[in-house]
Amino acid sequence: MRFNPSLTSRLRIGFLVLFALLLLVSLLGVGRLFQVRVNYEDDISRFFQLELESERLRSAFILEQAAVRPPTGQKLPSQAEINRAAANFSDAVSRARDLTGSDVTLTADLNQLVANENAWRQKVAQPLVKGKIPPPGVESRQTKAVTDSGQKLADATRDARDGSRDHARTETRNTTLLVAAGLAGALLAALILFSGLINSMRAPLGRLVEGARRLAGGDLRTRVQVGGPVEIATLGRAFNEMANSLERDARERDRVEQMKDDFVLTVSHELRTPVTVVKGFAEMLTAQRQSLNPRQYEAAEVIAESSAQLQKMINDLLDLARSDAGKLRIEPHPTEVGPLVQRVGRQMRPHFEERDQTLSVSIQKDLPEIEADADRISQVLANLLTNANKYSPEGADVKLAATRVDDEIEFAVADNGPGLGEEELEHVFDRFWRAQSGETQEVGGTGLGLAIAKSLVDLHGGAISADSSEGEGATFRFVLPIAKDGRPTRTEPASRTKAGAPT
Amino acid sequence: MTRLLVADDSETVLLMLQRRLEMEGYDVVTATDGIEALERLEEAGADEPDVILLDAMMPNKSGTEVLEELRGAGSKIPVVMISAHLDAQEPDRMRSLGATDIIPKPFEWDDLIGKIEELAGNSGVGGDGA
Repeated sequence: MRFNPSLTSRLRIGFLVLFALLLLVSLLGVGRLFQVRVNYEDDISRFFQLELESERLRSAFILEQAAVRPPTGQKLPSQAEINRAAANFSDAVSRARDLTGSDVTLTADLNQLVANENAWRQKVAQPLVKGKIPPPGVESRQTKAVTDSGQKLADATRDARDGSRDHARTETRNTTLLVAAGLAGALLAALILFSGLINSMRAPLGRLVEGARRLAGGDLRTRVQVGGPVEIATLGRAFNEMANSLERDARERDRVEQMKDDFVLTVSHELRTPVTVVKGFAEMLTAQRQSLNPRQYEAAEVIAESSAQLQKMINDLLDLARSDAGKLRIEPHPTEVGPLVQRVGRQMRPHFEERDQTLSVSIQKDLPEIEADADRISQVLANLLTNANKYSPEGADVKLAATRVDDEIEFAVADNGPGLGEEELEHVFDRFWRAQSGETQEVGGTGLGLAIAKSLVDLHGGAISADSSEGEGATFRFVLPIAKDGRPTRTEPASRTKAGAPT
Repeated sequence: MTRLLVADDSETVLLMLQRRLEMEGYDVVTATDGIEALERLEEAGADEPDVILLDAMMPNKSGTEVLEELRGAGSKIPVVMISAHLDAQEPDRMRSLGATDIIPKPFEWDDLIGKIEELAGNSGVGGDGA
């Protein structure tokens, strides 16, 4: 398995590494600077002492020069004086030797000085001590060689001191630069580490955001690729579990919905045959009034009415079940509006007369044809009229109107019944919903008529709406698109006009 | 007297249709599936019905198949298909097969009688449609 530390341990490791690097660079840098300083100070003091010693060598040589010449009034120089001067010289040489250390140039210069001194002693000092005057050229030459090499040692020492100072400067500068580079490097390493951390989170987080958007948009098959630091990976897994559960629920809901649709469809279908038979025979009986006694006739009439109601309810349920299952189909053809509206008005008129209501039908002149299934639109109008008929008090006025509004035909059914409140208007197209206001409680019906009306209008690509205020009556409107000229209709248009034109 | 052949796979529906149509004064022959309907037609011979009512969906042989065979054999008897309209293409298909008319299930009695009268050429006899 791949090493995949958690976010917190990554952060911890990151900070630790950064801290260790900074500490290391700082300690090394400071230590180095300290070392340079100490070396420099050592060198400087050594070279000062060496200069001092070369001064002493010079004075020791001057004393020795003086000592080898007899003082005024004496024939021979004092051996004690000579010895003291020589001792001074060799003390200074041995101290200088300690100070030159491993410095090759200085050691060579010092050796040269000692060699020249020895040559001087041999060629100048010893003849003088023995009372012989060395040839004039020799003394001045040997003396000059010693003085020159002393001067050379002093100069070399000064040069070495300068060199040491330059070296210390260079070292200090280089070390400072190195420390700065080290610190910058440590910070850069930390930056790379943290940006790596952020990058390792960015891709899986992006996938999660994208997944959540898709899921919210309704794509329940959305799953994210699990990855990144442990915490993000855990989040990804939790997201996928959530999506699984949502999808399972949705599938279960669809299955139950499907079962319900199938059930309603089957039951309605199976109920239809027996109801047809009951209704048919009951109607047959009521048609034979003369051969029945009044009670038998009454019973036959109630059976006929009730079975008609039952049949209507089953048909409504079947329509809705088909609509839910997407199986409710319409056959739209170019249809004349006037005759259709007139026919529905004529069919519904008896119901209004029964309740002493007036039904006035108004149809705008020269309305263009609509693209509609005439039977279904008749059903919609009949449902709206039935609604107005039932919910308006006796003696009410109900108006049915068809007018053109832009490229659509608007059908309106207006009553002056009790009207509907705002909340009721929201539910008026819900199935099995019925207005609950006082006196309308007694109204029969399935509560499916308006729901079916809406389904049918929707299928036609139209729109249905209701508006009302309490006590002011209610108006139901729906609009249908007018049939477009030149648009080929799906089936033979001429032979079908008779459905909408009974004249 | 107008003669009718009525075919429906539900015996109770068939009985109801028969009794009511008889009450309306028709001579009714019944069949419970397509095969029986074709047998009844054969038995009738030259004395063929004036109008045939066929339930579109029946076991053994459906009303649609009967219609197809009749028209295939050149019969010109008016045929009214009674259809539950389970699928939107059905009416178009039946019309193209030669159905004279189609009555969707469920139907109002007066509509059925009106259609039969119209097809039997007895217009005016029923006359009780609004």
